[in-house]
Amino acid sequence: MVNAAKVLQDLRASAERKPDVVVRLGKPLIDSGAVLKLDADAWLVYEQVAIAALDMGDDGLALKCIQALETRFPGSPRVRRLQGMQLEAVGKLAEAGQIYKAILEEDETNVLASKRQVMLLRTMGLPSEAIAALVKYLDVNYTDFEGWLQLADLYLDELMYAQAAFCMEEVLMLQPQNHIFHLKYAEILYTQDNIQLALKQFCRVVELCGDHVRGLYGIKMCASRLLKAAPSKDAAATSQEDLEAMDLLATERLIALYGAPGAAAESSKIAATKWIETQ
Amino acid sequence: MAVQQAPNHFGRLVCLVAFFLFFHSGYSTFEHLSYLKAVDGHESGLPLDITIELLTSVALFGLGIVLVADDFKEILMETEMAKQSIESLDARPSFYAFNHRGRAVFKNVILKDEM
Repeated sequence: MVNAAKVLQDLRASAERKPDVVVRLGKPLIDSGAVLKLDADAWLVYEQVAIAALDMGDDGLALKCIQALETRFPGSPRVRRLQGMQLEAVGKLAEAGQIYKAILEEDETNVLASKRQVMLLRTMGLPSEAIAALVKYLDVNYTDFEGWLQLADLYLDELMYAQAAFCMEEVLMLQPQNHIFHLKYAEILYTQDNIQLALKQFCRVVELCGDHVRGLYGIKMCASRLLKAAPSKDAAATSQEDLEAMDLLATERLIALYGAPGAAAESSKIAATKWIETQ
Repeated sequence: MAVQQAPNHFGRLVCLVAFFLFFHSGYSTFEHLSYLKAVDGHESGLPLDITIELLTSVALFGLGIVLVADDFKEILMETEMAKQSIESLDARPSFYAFNHRGRAVFKNVILKDEM
């Protein structure tokens, strides 16, 4: 039991979305009432299990958790947001919207409710309204990198790459040490055919996280694209020799990484080597 | 990631010796003071041998701790980030949406306890 509580706590800290694990570990805790022994953490577990249960389609469990929270914290906006999420999950979107609206009428700075409204619009199939709502939210809360990331995602759904790239630039300003964000930015740039800049961003990914396979593939793809294209006259562009050296280094690292014992299955090793050779 | 180092026996021995010296110098001080009290002496300060013993024990402690201590951990943020998965680095818990297939797929699945 102590173990399950520890795993749930780790999952809360890492923010990974693993509803199956959460429900499997959390359901026995809640059904047996053992969760109450966790003191203050108990309510966090209730919230976590409620959201995971909604993900898994276990509405009975979700309602049970939300009701327990409602009795403990009557009228709390955080619990009402959970109720809204439950309504969203079962498809009662208009009622969920009313809950969020009521929360915001009481306190228009409630960040969580504004974020839910954005997702509600997206669930309703109104992407441009969702984007407009999120832009309005980010106008006020411009240091919320999660919001910028989500905005980039919404723009990508609409194939608006320039706007998505701008959002990722904002994210990088706020979280420069996260290599995954650099990787996302690099891949958007590559899709935009901005290969020069994409190459630099892929290099940054590998700089922040050595031997990052997706970053190395990116370097390789950018370098070979640039080598095939006519040499650029731009003085700021990477020189041919540097490109060749980068291409070689990325190839070397990729082959070494796939060749490491136990690193990959034999079939994927062969496929990777074949792809690298054709480039 | 945490590579368990073989315990450094020599370092531990040095620490132990240092501890006994430290303890002994403390005891000697006590003895010395009670002796002074008994003979009504007005001497201030400690005899040189106790001071030397104390300083030696401190130096030995320093050496022993350095020998026993583990390798240093990385303080770079990057190394910590590199250990985390893309799911946790790119997670956006406040923007969950529930119109996904998970609700239909797992509706009637009984989760097996794998742990």
